[in-house]
Amino acid sequence: MIELISQSRCINCDICVEVCPTNVFDPVPGEAPVIARQSDCQTCFLCEAYCPVDAMFVAAEAHEHVEVNEEDLIAKGLLGAYRRNLGWNKGNSPEIRMNEMRELQRKVGAPF
Amino acid sequence: MNKLNEPGLEINADVLVIGGGPAASWAALAAAERGAKVVIADKGYLGASGAFAASTSGAKVIPPIKELRDPVKFERYALGGHLAQHSWWDRLLDVTFEKAPKIYEWGGYETPPYNTNGRPAYRGLQGCETMRIMRKQVKKAGVQILDHSPALELLVDDEGAVSGARGFQRQENRPWTVKAAAVVMASGGCAWLSKALGCNTNTGDGLLMAVEAGGELSSMEFSAHYVPAPKHSSVTKSAYYRFASFYDESGKVLDGLTKNGHRSTSAIAKELLKGKVYVTLNQNGADNPDMQKLLRLQQPNFMNAFDKIGVDPFTEKWEITLLLEGTVRGVGGIRIANKDCGTTVPGLFAAGDAATRELNCGGFTGGAGPNMTWAIGSGNIAGWAAADHARSLGQKATERNVRGVGRTGLVSSTETDATYDANAVVKGVQEEIFPLDKNIFRTEKGLLDSLAKLNQLWSEVQKNPVQGTAQELQRSREAVGLVAAARWAYFAGLERKETRGMHKRLDYPQLDPNQRHYLAVGGLDKLWTRPVPVPEAVVPQPAKEEVAVHA
Repeated sequence: MIELISQSRCINCDICVEVCPTNVFDPVPGEAPVIARQSDCQTCFLCEAYCPVDAMFVAAEAHEHVEVNEEDLIAKGLLGAYRRNLGWNKGNSPEIRMNEMRELQRKVGAPF
Repeated sequence: MNKLNEPGLEINADVLVIGGGPAASWAALAAAERGAKVVIADKGYLGASGAFAASTSGAKVIPPIKELRDPVKFERYALGGHLAQHSWWDRLLDVTFEKAPKIYEWGGYETPPYNTNGRPAYRGLQGCETMRIMRKQVKKAGVQILDHSPALELLVDDEGAVSGARGFQRQENRPWTVKAAAVVMASGGCAWLSKALGCNTNTGDGLLMAVEAGGELSSMEFSAHYVPAPKHSSVTKSAYYRFASFYDESGKVLDGLTKNGHRSTSAIAKELLKGKVYVTLNQNGADNPDMQKLLRLQQPNFMNAFDKIGVDPFTEKWEITLLLEGTVRGVGGIRIANKDCGTTVPGLFAAGDAATRELNCGGFTGGAGPNMTWAIGSGNIAGWAAADHARSLGQKATERNVRGVGRTGLVSSTETDATYDANAVVKGVQEEIFPLDKNIFRTEKGLLDSLAKLNQLWSEVQKNPVQGTAQELQRSREAVGLVAAARWAYFAGLERKETRGMHKRLDYPQLDPNQRHYLAVGGLDKLWTRPVPVPEAVVPQPAKEEVAVHA
């Protein structure tokens, strides 16, 4: 479930409020949104994918709240990792990802 | 019905599409393509809602060449109990061949990365990227998008024809009403809030609304679709279990959990009923580092979960569970009554997971290909037909007297002040529909026991819904949809006294050739079923042996 909106990174754009399909967040004027309904989070990771400043962390645990530590997540490269892997971060694109897939497929064949 | 009677947004349109996934987006585009004024209302956000946006699935993009299309039609034909129709496959494949490549064109992408028989396979783009492109295109087509606007009931005219819908804009805190000549229900299937990846927006709302408007469902007995996921996670991505070694708690290898290279859900379920099951992806070439790199790139959402829990899925053992995907990657849904994806109710069309998928999947899952082909095909067919229907009604469409037909979970009873606890009701349904021994391994006694409990829950939700906030309004209604969908699934399951497709009856373990028919199911307080003949004779198998696929 969603466990973190980094207060230092968030630019209050409220994109997560808009895109979250289960309406987990509430906007706060002039501030970062709040995680208002955490148990409604379906753990789809899409807020993370859409966050333009990698301020969000959705833990893999879908049913139970887990403690996370922002510095620890940054140190492990986990803040924004999903967006990078999708090719949605700045300077990247899904096309680059697909090209890498083509290259590797030439070497090892299609996985299935 | 206090909250819905407050002043709100009111719109007239030719076509209202309910939903926000691929089928809904395609339906909106198809209706707009034929000149209709289209509104699309989604519970969540068009682009992030539904199973596909959070996951991904490739469509079957195959030219009209018999040798290339036959394998697709026969791949799961027997597995689905010969309930699919080849004539439907032909139409769906035609539409998909024409439409699916446009996603790449609109997104500015080159040829897809994989080839099947020397032809592009169109499965490189992830669901979220595809849906981002679809949203842009829907906007470009002039379709009005209402995000965070769950539909709560259908509107019908004096003749009983569907004439629009009403719902609530949960971020604007106001009701919405769209009067329309035709409605396409593409609100997704029902996974009973299991948190299977992207499935919690899929609570069977469309099924309930359709039945309240006089519609009926079909193939609800084929709704026990489960997918493995790393324990505690939501990641029901099944493709990579073809690389899996399975282990029990002592580390002993569990054989027989895959069939012909694909996972067997019932074999996994049997092991999970005995104890813990662990997986490492180290078979069929997955020990090659380049293959691992490729697998990481191909399914970022699958790998995401492992990165976060700090497990290397290729070398370490991780515990799995089975999560219910229900009708989302199962089959049941609103019965399609004609070639236009029309339902038994005039003015109501159905597409995607909200509709039955029996027409191209029979009684088996359409995961990894057939489902997306159905979404694109049925979305377009329903969208076109809805636009044509609107044109045939002309001006009089929006001049009709209309009334809402939503009842249980929406309208307060005048006879009592008592309310029901929606969360407790949801939990009660889940206790009947989640357990593997109740839903996968079915018996008459088990189904009757569960139905008795579900009927109690149905009585419970006849009390007043709590509607103080937008969330409460939505959850109260969703709870009713979940109870209703579970009752239809088990009632149909009771009626089908054989084992066919994903419907397994321990007390009737064989397929019965005399039951090669669809089961229509419906009713609210009192349920009913009716056999519906399959209009196509069984198509003989080509000489080549069928490959068993369980995606």
